[in-house]
Amino acid sequence: MKKVLVANRGEIALRVIRACREMGLATVAVYSDVDRAALHVSHADEAYRLGPGPATESYLRGDLILDVARRSGADAIHPGYGFLSENADFAESCATAGIMFIGPPASAMRALGSKTKARQAADRAQMPRVPGSVTGLPSVEEAMRVAGEIGYPVMLKAAAGGGGKGMRAVASPADLPAAFTAASSEAERSFGSGEVYLEKLIVEPRHIEIQVMADTHGNCIYLGERECSVQRRHQKVIEEAPSAVVGDDLRRRMGEAAVRLALSCGYVNAGTVEFLVSRDRATDEQSFYFLEMNTRLQVEHPVTEMITGIDLVRMQLRVAMGEPLGIRQQEIQLRGHAVECRIYAEDPGNNFFPSPGLITRLVQPGGPGIREDCGVYAGWTVPLEYDPMLSKLVAYAETREQAIDKMLRALDEYVVGGIKTNISFFRRILSDPDFRAANIHTGYLERLLAGEDTTPVKELSEDVVALAAALLSGSIKTRSTDAIAATESRWAAAGRREGVGA
Amino acid sequence: MTVWLDIDGKQRRVELPAEAAAGGVLNCLVDGKPITVDARFPERGVLSLLVEGRQYRAVLDGDAVVIAGQRYEFSIEDPRSLRGGRGAGDGAAGPRTVKAPMPGRVVRVLASVGDEVAEHQGVVVIEAMKMQNELKSPKAGRVVKIAVAVDDTVGSGDALVVIE
Repeated sequence: MKKVLVANRGEIALRVIRACREMGLATVAVYSDVDRAALHVSHADEAYRLGPGPATESYLRGDLILDVARRSGADAIHPGYGFLSENADFAESCATAGIMFIGPPASAMRALGSKTKARQAADRAQMPRVPGSVTGLPSVEEAMRVAGEIGYPVMLKAAAGGGGKGMRAVASPADLPAAFTAASSEAERSFGSGEVYLEKLIVEPRHIEIQVMADTHGNCIYLGERECSVQRRHQKVIEEAPSAVVGDDLRRRMGEAAVRLALSCGYVNAGTVEFLVSRDRATDEQSFYFLEMNTRLQVEHPVTEMITGIDLVRMQLRVAMGEPLGIRQQEIQLRGHAVECRIYAEDPGNNFFPSPGLITRLVQPGGPGIREDCGVYAGWTVPLEYDPMLSKLVAYAETREQAIDKMLRALDEYVVGGIKTNISFFRRILSDPDFRAANIHTGYLERLLAGEDTTPVKELSEDVVALAAALLSGSIKTRSTDAIAATESRWAAAGRREGVGA
Repeated sequence: MTVWLDIDGKQRRVELPAEAAAGGVLNCLVDGKPITVDARFPERGVLSLLVEGRQYRAVLDGDAVVIAGQRYEFSIEDPRSLRGGRGAGDGAAGPRTVKAPMPGRVVRVLASVGDEVAEHQGVVVIEAMKMQNELKSPKAGRVVKIAVAVDDTVGSGDALVVIE
């Protein structure tokens, strides 16, 4: 393997390109029309255009990507996450074309790709899963029967689903028919398959996942867990490793179950097994239930890298080259605590509206224990075609409390100008006593958002604010139009800029 | 140079010496009160401000200044301007327009011309960056105009629906 094509964009494309360069591998970037000036392109040795902005005409076009691989002489493709990363047909096309797909074989992706199939695989690997159906539900009547059997409340889920689409919590039989129709049609629209199944609703669970890595020689290890319970609309917002509630025994049991599942499906390369973890109020006993397996590198892989000291992308590349893992389970040691914040272009003050546009200023945090995997720069226009994630900020320290304080410090240093971001939202979460006490579950964030914002505000003299504002506006040569624009709404001003600057 | 500011609804008047833009030790007046500061601009739009030994790092972001992670929005007021009161046309009376807060694609129109809508009732859903967002009516009233249809691409600030 000498040349790797990175079939992705943004921070993850850059992350992979960096690992390749460190290993002496040549890199090939691909880009859409709106991404020619993107950061990942300017870090690659070669770059090729795919097509227009929409992902369906560029980053999701497996045929175009394979064509670029042939033209450039790349002998491997790293899919990153999202886009084609979990597309078994694409992995198969790569194999047919004689190009290494850096990920699991298509057969393993198919065995785990649909949630119902994954539940069947979990049963075969004898791992606990949430009670419910293991096949799609053909009708509302069948759904009523299964729900009656496992008992309400239940959760309807899309078999092909992800990201919370096609998901409905159902409290009673009366709500089931409408929820069934809604979940099924949403699943059909989002994933091209209306197949839905039922699970018992676990009340206030934690979302905890295990990182696994398997080579082509039959070795598979687990690299500890990640706590991803802080979610909004089923999208992860903050991830950390290790989890504050997972002890050595639970970690070993979950890890061994995850490895069993991976091996049973012929899994190779990096993967993540997601679990729900709940604590029985009466017995205080912790139970874990298999949720699904993600057959790719995860967005939140850096927190695992921080506490294990292992470069997961480097390991992915080595496994793809046919090398053995080179490390045994008992050699994996967890050390310290890492927290990751996903910095999004969205406005927490306005219902988390996406906020694409020109980044006029970028002041990035630094100092010991801070890692930033960033895909943007000052002067970059965040396109509206893709996911709004700009960057992942990671803080690493000896303890959870110190890591949280380090993250708060880094967020204070961080300024993204021109567009709105969720930086202030993280300050609110990280200052919340429940979060600091690790008293979290998948419904935690919704409850926090429903309450009043009690983020402590540092007292600052109004005179200082006035002086700073006056000095800064005076130091920038303001044209009269800018002074007027400043009193308009930000949206109107942005609209004017775009209209004039186009 | 005198700068009139509106910060959080409060009117402030800051008088700066002529050489302020170059930075240095400056004798300023804030609402008539003398304050001596040491101001330096390490880079464009970034200010290090020393006031009685306390150091503040301030970063300009459009119509806001960010100090120690806190954002303070402000506007420059011009008392000679003939503009009326701020927010004219934003009152509850008269027609109000629902505008696109970002570029995107219309995925659903939830009201028809002639419909009575309540305040905060959803009227249009637009999609951008893989997210669907319901735009709500700013007031109770009657829909008098719908300027978009499903699948239309809209730009930031485009008028979508008018409520009277």
